[in-house]
Amino acid sequence: MRLFVCSLFLFLVLMPKGALNDTRKKDGTSLGERVQQLMDTMTKRSVVRLNTDKFKQYVKALPRNYSMIIMFTAMAPQRQCAICRHASDEFQIVANSYRYSQLFSNKMFFGVVDFDEGADIFTSLKMNSAPTFMHFPAKGKPKKVDIMDIQRHGISAEAIAKWIAERTDVHIRVFRPPNYSGTIGLVTLIVLIGGLLYLRRNNLDFLYNRVMWAVLALSFVFAMTSGQMWNHIRNPPFLHKTQQGGVAYIHGSSQGQFVVETYIIAIINGAIVVGMILLTEAANSKTGAGDVGKRRIMAIIGLALVAFFFSLLLSIFRSKAGGYPYSKTDERREIH
Amino acid sequence: MPATVESGSAVKNSLFNPSGWRSLLIFTVLALTCIAGFSSRLFAVIRFESIIHEFDPWFNYRSTAYMVKHGFYNFLNWFDERAWYPLGRIVGGTVYPGLMVTSGSIHYVLSLLNIHVHIRDICVFLAPIFSGLTALSTYFLTKELWTPGAGLFAASFICIVPGYISRSVAGSYDNEGIAIFALMFTYYLWVKSVKTGSLFWAASTALSYFYMVSAWGGYVFIINLIPLHVFVLLVLGRYSARLYTAYSTFYILGTILSMQIPFVGFQPVRTSEHMAAAGVFALINAVALLKFLQSYMTKAEFRHFVLIGSSVAAGTVFVAVVGLTYAGIIAPWSGRFYSLWDTGYAKIHIPIIASVSEHQPTTWFSFFFDLHILAAVFPVGIWYCIKNINDERVFIVLYAVSATYFAGVMVRLMLTLTPVVCVLSAIGFSQLFELYLRDDESDKNKESGVDSEDENSDEHNHKMYDKVCGFIFHEYFFFLRQPGKLRKMKHEKLKDGTGGGAAGSLGVNLRSIVVVAMLMMLMMFAVHCTWVTSNAYSSPSIVLATYSNEGSRYILDDFREAYFWLSQNTAEDATIMSWWDYGYQIAGMGNRTTLVDNNTWNNSHIALVGKAMSSNESAAYDIMMNLGVDYVLVIFGGAIGYSGDDINKFLWMVRIAEGEHPKDIREADYFTERGEFRIDAEGSPTLLNCLMYKLSYYKFAEMPGDYRSPRGYDRTRNAVIGNPDISLTYLEEAYTTEHWLVRIYRFVLVLNFLSTLSLTVVENYFSVKKEEDFNRPEILRSDVQLKLPRVSSKKVSLGYATMKRKKGSIKNRPVVVKGKRPAVRTVKA
Repeated sequence: MRLFVCSLFLFLVLMPKGALNDTRKKDGTSLGERVQQLMDTMTKRSVVRLNTDKFKQYVKALPRNYSMIIMFTAMAPQRQCAICRHASDEFQIVANSYRYSQLFSNKMFFGVVDFDEGADIFTSLKMNSAPTFMHFPAKGKPKKVDIMDIQRHGISAEAIAKWIAERTDVHIRVFRPPNYSGTIGLVTLIVLIGGLLYLRRNNLDFLYNRVMWAVLALSFVFAMTSGQMWNHIRNPPFLHKTQQGGVAYIHGSSQGQFVVETYIIAIINGAIVVGMILLTEAANSKTGAGDVGKRRIMAIIGLALVAFFFSLLLSIFRSKAGGYPYSKTDERREIH
Repeated sequence: MPATVESGSAVKNSLFNPSGWRSLLIFTVLALTCIAGFSSRLFAVIRFESIIHEFDPWFNYRSTAYMVKHGFYNFLNWFDERAWYPLGRIVGGTVYPGLMVTSGSIHYVLSLLNIHVHIRDICVFLAPIFSGLTALSTYFLTKELWTPGAGLFAASFICIVPGYISRSVAGSYDNEGIAIFALMFTYYLWVKSVKTGSLFWAASTALSYFYMVSAWGGYVFIINLIPLHVFVLLVLGRYSARLYTAYSTFYILGTILSMQIPFVGFQPVRTSEHMAAAGVFALINAVALLKFLQSYMTKAEFRHFVLIGSSVAAGTVFVAVVGLTYAGIIAPWSGRFYSLWDTGYAKIHIPIIASVSEHQPTTWFSFFFDLHILAAVFPVGIWYCIKNINDERVFIVLYAVSATYFAGVMVRLMLTLTPVVCVLSAIGFSQLFELYLRDDESDKNKESGVDSEDENSDEHNHKMYDKVCGFIFHEYFFFLRQPGKLRKMKHEKLKDGTGGGAAGSLGVNLRSIVVVAMLMMLMMFAVHCTWVTSNAYSSPSIVLATYSNEGSRYILDDFREAYFWLSQNTAEDATIMSWWDYGYQIAGMGNRTTLVDNNTWNNSHIALVGKAMSSNESAAYDIMMNLGVDYVLVIFGGAIGYSGDDINKFLWMVRIAEGEHPKDIREADYFTERGEFRIDAEGSPTLLNCLMYKLSYYKFAEMPGDYRSPRGYDRTRNAVIGNPDISLTYLEEAYTTEHWLVRIYRFVLVLNFLSTLSLTVVENYFSVKKEEDFNRPEILRSDVQLKLPRVSSKKVSLGYATMKRKKGSIKNRPVVVKGKRPAVRTVKA
């Protein structure tokens, strides 16, 4: 990435100024022809690939009665722009959704400019980062809002479609090509399990193994009670690096959590359960293992596990809940 | 009074029990449980008064009062023209009437007995009374699953656990309060009927299920869990005639009965949520048929037959369901249920569901907050249930696993998880105590030891905590007592001494340390429950209290002040526009017509109100005129720092409005260039000029404030407002409460008569008035026509009652969405 930044910078410095200004070039094509050419391209692909000449021809040239949504990107491997590839995929999804929807008309086209094919376009637009999404309206020059703020909206196809809807009133309904990886995974899993069952069809005792089922059920419960579903929906950071350079594993507020925090909680919960089970098994002579000494050690370990991890859990909880317990902070927080 | 009610049934139970000692102990413990559960729910009544809380309870109370006054049949036919003006709402067909009928019949019985209690008091105390009944049914369920000792643990857990108290404090008059009782009782009866295979118990299950259906939309959980149980039992090869009897009876009776509720209607045979139950019904009949045929066929024939038969049957059923769904005869999953599976669904497609704080996913913090140690211990119960599996334990394991999933997806479904957590952790704890307190040599010493320890710590506690927490001691006392009882029972049971000596060999010291440690944890649990109940779940939210540093209390009663003002100073048929959160309260306390309320059945109507609130004044004027608004009510917390006000909810109004009117309202317009939601001078101009902003901050800058902060300083958002000179054209301030919490504006009726006038007259009128009203934008001819709001038939609120509980401090305080920062971004220097 840095490589790219440097190179772009150098490039700009070394760029002869005169070359930039010479953008007015005879296009030699009328508006109707250009629209026709674009429509022809559209039959093959939903995004027009633009180099410097084509950019001048289709985007810069006036008059123009269609708007263009252009993605400026740097896809070449040496640029090492990982996000560009992702952005490009999303952009392609939007473009395809538009291309194959009822909305498709000759009023709006999608285009892409790669830095390595049209570096001077980047400079002429004073563009210094990639990827960038820009809208060239049919009338007038692009304004500041015609550059999509990807810092804020992100680069998901939905966000791009929403931004396009804001700028052009074309409401593209994003249609993602169905993701078969989940289905394939499920089918493989079923086949695997089925195959395993078939191979071991003479010895299906393991299905009646209660310990296995119990462990499965408990893992699911631990995953849920430690808030993995929240992680799945909210996508919190794995952990937090504080400004002092330290690392925070526990989210400070009761409203949030880090991924690593939930793992810690799951382990703590698991340890408490193991402790309780050890305690119970130690005292249970029928199922308990062997001699008294062994059972006594089991009991002590169990007790230690329960006591230690429960107090750990409690102190993590306390660090997240201000003024717990014996305090009225909650009400004060409501009314200052 | 509740204690007598509950203890009555406990007495009945004990009469059937021959062993006097045990019965007495069980009875005492259960009675104490009920009392503790009842009294710990009274914080709000003691601190404030006997008052209905929050939002939805006000509607329930209003309809209960209506039913008591006009009779049940009039209630069923009630068309409420005061809600959702101008659409109205058919109340009888859109509520679960169980709650109203329950409190109505209590009222009826009491008045037959010449005990005259105001219906409000019955409503306020209904949930605490039912918490006692819940404890009893949890006891019975756990007793069926494990031992009576575990049952007592479970009963005592459920009566104080915050996850359940959160929905059943006194004054929280809502469906969940009685529904959890119905849920647990149905499960108890179901387990009982699976165990006995008796028609009687199965029919009772169906009746109890009927009560549950009449009470809460969460009945869908039962009608999916029981079939799941049956299905898993079939897969496990645990088919029996008992199971067949129980399920067939339950399914047929239960379905027919549930269809008697007007709100449910034909859903049990027409929606996808209920199809699993029907499928399992078909399956169990097929299995029964096969079992029958098996006795007539040879083994090889039978195998052949099963293979062909089952594949054909499965194929037909699958095709039939899919076909019927496509044909529209079976409705697909409703959005709210669908969002339980596809967790990202609601966020994208249904902002009104996503906007409610209780539909958010659950952090581990919430689990611990609501369940404390039980959240960590209940897997032990699952472990032992699976290790010692039988028909009914399969049920509780399935219940636990599915409920944890649902609780993880949605905070509010913690409520359905709580009972099973109590049951399972009771199993874990009782197992442990049973083993560690089993002791033959030093039985007597031990008993006295426990007793004295009990008293000591009791005294110690008395010093530590104030009197309010007194009921903890019931709990604490009870926890300590119970092991004694358990030991006795166990002692009796295991007189042959299979394990007594061996457990004893662990040593007295080790065992007492373990016991004391466990008791300490349970004590912390009791303290935690009290603390949470007192601090988090006992605020009526319509009366706010604030505490000074010395502990003196100051009551803010602005909401009722405003609603009372509305009821006294406005015309009978005045229409009040407010955000939907306050609809029920305005109707219940102010007795005035509202545009939208907490029922949220009509998204487009809500979006229209949201659009009015987020447009500028003249655009809002059109909408308000079309809707026939007389007053606008906004909640404003900036003067006192109340965080649950309308500005903090504002982004949701924008989002909901944007969903229906994407051309007029854009969420991005309300953010600054840098994507922040700011109300100060740097805020976006659209925000600073929208109706909600103006109504909130009108004349706020002139308010003599605190000497420490500048004029116009918003204490909720800690900023000076950006638009201090607000002038209103079409609205005038009618009333502002003492702490500025509620502000009411009167709609200036300039043009409401327009529709009756010919347009030329209007034009003349304008030409005359134009000079005077320089501030009033010219109204074009095309704008002056009454547009009826577009009404979509899309029903947003199905299933689980309605959305509610926007507490004082909204949990999902509109956090500015900054979007995802791309992980890598190439930026030129």
